Amino acid sequence: MLFTLIAKQMKMLIRNKQPLIILLVMPLVLITILSNALGSIMDSGEEAAIQANLLIVDNSSWAQEEKAIKLFLEQEGVNGPPLEAMLIQFKSSDPVELLNGTILASDEMKKYIAVDYKKYVDLKVARQDENIDGILNIPTNFRLDYVKSAYFNNTNLPDLSLYLNQDNEIRASIIESVLTDWQTGYTQSAALLSADLSPQEIMSNVTSVEKLEQTLEANERKIPASIYYTVGMLVMFALYIPAFLAGFALQEVQWKVYDRILLAGVSPILYTLSIFFTGTFVAFIQQVMMLLFGMFVLGIEWISLEAMVVIIVSYSVFVGALSALMTTLQFRTKTEGIANVFNGLFITVFSFLGGSFFNIRDISETLGKIGDFTPNGATMSAILSIQKGQDLSVIWPFMLAIYVLVVVCVLLSIVFFPRRGVAE
Amino acid sequence: MLQAINLSKRFKTKEVVREINMELLAGESVGLLGPNGAGKSTTISMLSSLVQPTSGDVLWNEKSIAKNPEPLRKTLGVVPQEIALYPELSARENLAFFGRVYGLKGELLETRITEVLMKIGLTDRQKDIVKTFSGGMKRRLNIGAALLHRPSILIMDEPTVGIDPQSRAYILETVKQFVEEGMTLLYTSHYMEEVEMLCDKIYIMDQGKIIAHGTKEELKGLVSENQTIELKANLLTENFEKTLIERFPTATLHIEEEVLTISMSKSEEPLATIFAVAAANNVVITSAIVKVPSLEDVFLHLTGKALRD
Ligand SMILES: Nc1ncnc2c1ncn2[C@@H]1O[C@H](COP(=O)(O)OP(=O)(O)OP(=O)(O)O)[C@@H](O)[C@H]1O
Ligand SMILES: [Mg+2]
Repeated sequence: MLFTLIAKQMKMLIRNKQPLIILLVMPLVLITILSNALGSIMDSGEEAAIQANLLIVDNSSWAQEEKAIKLFLEQEGVNGPPLEAMLIQFKSSDPVELLNGTILASDEMKKYIAVDYKKYVDLKVARQDENIDGILNIPTNFRLDYVKSAYFNNTNLPDLSLYLNQDNEIRASIIESVLTDWQTGYTQSAALLSADLSPQEIMSNVTSVEKLEQTLEANERKIPASIYYTVGMLVMFALYIPAFLAGFALQEVQWKVYDRILLAGVSPILYTLSIFFTGTFVAFIQQVMMLLFGMFVLGIEWISLEAMVVIIVSYSVFVGALSALMTTLQFRTKTEGIANVFNGLFITVFSFLGGSFFNIRDISETLGKIGDFTPNGATMSAILSIQKGQDLSVIWPFMLAIYVLVVVCVLLSIVFFPRRGVAE
Repeated sequence: MLQAINLSKRFKTKEVVREINMELLAGESVGLLGPNGAGKSTTISMLSSLVQPTSGDVLWNEKSIAKNPEPLRKTLGVVPQEIALYPELSARENLAFFGRVYGLKGELLETRITEVLMKIGLTDRQKDIVKTFSGGMKRRLNIGAALLHRPSILIMDEPTVGIDPQSRAYILETVKQFVEEGMTLLYTSHYMEEVEMLCDKIYIMDQGKIIAHGTKEELKGLVSENQTIELKANLLTENFEKTLIERFPTATLHIEEEVLTISMSKSEEPLATIFAVAAANNVVITSAIVKVPSLEDVFLHLTGKALRD
């Protein structure tokens, strides 16, 4: 019986052009437009009007390491005036100096990145600081290791680590792209400085770039605009499902087919349950289709599938519960008023707070926190955390918000259920 | 079998159905006749368990349906006044859906659908979307959707409203066949001739009340005990009317423009009196017709107004 009712509701959805356009075509168009238009800002930081805060923790300095470098050169058989000349050359091409004195010091760059320098910082504490978007940690022997690897093909690669605060994807990506450029730059310039370098040695230098990227990946994956907006639209457009289903239900009452269904012995509870299941099912299909679109059209690689299934199913159940609630409310009021207000006002406000259009935390941390209590915001935060490569456990606080909302919807549906029939 | 006992319905302060008593026996074909807004649909909704009465009760096989409507619902087919169908689905899909909600499936469902499509003459159009149907075809499908579970009682609420005469004749013929096959029928209409053609027993309803009931013959007898006089006159005055009512206290008067219709017992010989009263009031009668009573006049006689406006 349930299946008959669900199949009928699916037919009503599919045979009507409007739901298909709003539930499927519109979000796909918006994902494409948003990820392309805003992608350049988000992905490269070219036009960022937002300033990122970078903390450089330099556990060393040229002066500190000069002795060790000199010793190393002597061990390599360099002595006398050539050794002095080499030291001067190395100092002038010290990548950290290059970064601090040239790249980050430029007026152009200062617009995007504000730098703070510190020595010996407790990284754990600094990483908790929400005002810091990125931390570049330069270890004690960095300069020595760099000299060894860049000029003497030594296997010890400079061990840099970059920590990005993924709460703000845009700012994190600015820092990341600048530092990646810097690293690529210094490894290549090192190769040019040394005339008798073999191609093999240059290759080995490239591995130091990989090393940096590996550090990144071990912490968190970068969220590009394509992922951000696919998720943003996915959570937003699922919210349009309840109004459609509740609208159909109201139509069934007005057309008196609902009377026929009741006369056939279908209980109103079963009928409402069928709307719950249809909402859940449609939301699930819709989200899967958007994820597939992201994958095949935008080339997104979705990671941790199990966590994604948990999130998507939970959110779908919420959409189902909201559909049931909206249906009972419409049966009560016998108008489409509630669905219209929800579609016209709530979805926009929720999507804004939930971060579907841009990261609300750029404006206000408080609004961002409120956004995490909206069903769409919680779901979006959960998906983005997972896509950054975080552990499954991070989603539970967000999922809890969803489950609480599901329970609230179900309880309200029961409270508002018109027991005495819709006709009166 | 199906009984209404002192059935009343109030919507907020509006009394729509007032203390009506009805009875529908197995194999009977009963008509419920009344003008727009009489309360026919509301009565039917209460009889079919869709609307809770404000007071009174509906009995099915001597048991109240208020607590347990299921046994009644299973044997009942209801054709609502509205076209209660899914416009985006095809005729067959509509029937399949309504069959399934009644628990039919598989081969049985398919044969029932085919059977119903034949009965309502829509076999050729079964694959077409209902939206594209004519009014008459929708009406036929509206009936068909109530037949899939082979109900033994069929309640039809104005099944011929708003369609062309041909479609109407087709539907009436179909319903007549149901009756001949032994179906119990409750047929609502404001067309006297439909009820006359289909029903043995007739209830006449007005302003929420059953104002008369009986077999066709009994009702006709009720009318034939009366006579109707149609007067055309210049300057019908209030005083003239008043005097007539005083003289014939059992008569009903009805004025439409320059025509005064008087309905009263046949036993009276009113013409001489009428002319005398007219003369006394300076009313000039231009024509006077004593009409042979018809069924249509039952209503006029009972309510003082025409059945249809
Ligand atoms: N749900 C309702 N709420 C308030 N008033 C109602 C409701 N349903 C019906 N009515 C009123 O009750 C009266 C009787 O309505 P009903 O539909 O039973 O009449 P009917 O005899 O079927 O008329 P028609 O021939 O036009 O179908 C009307 O005045 C109508 O406005
Ligand atoms: Mg009616």
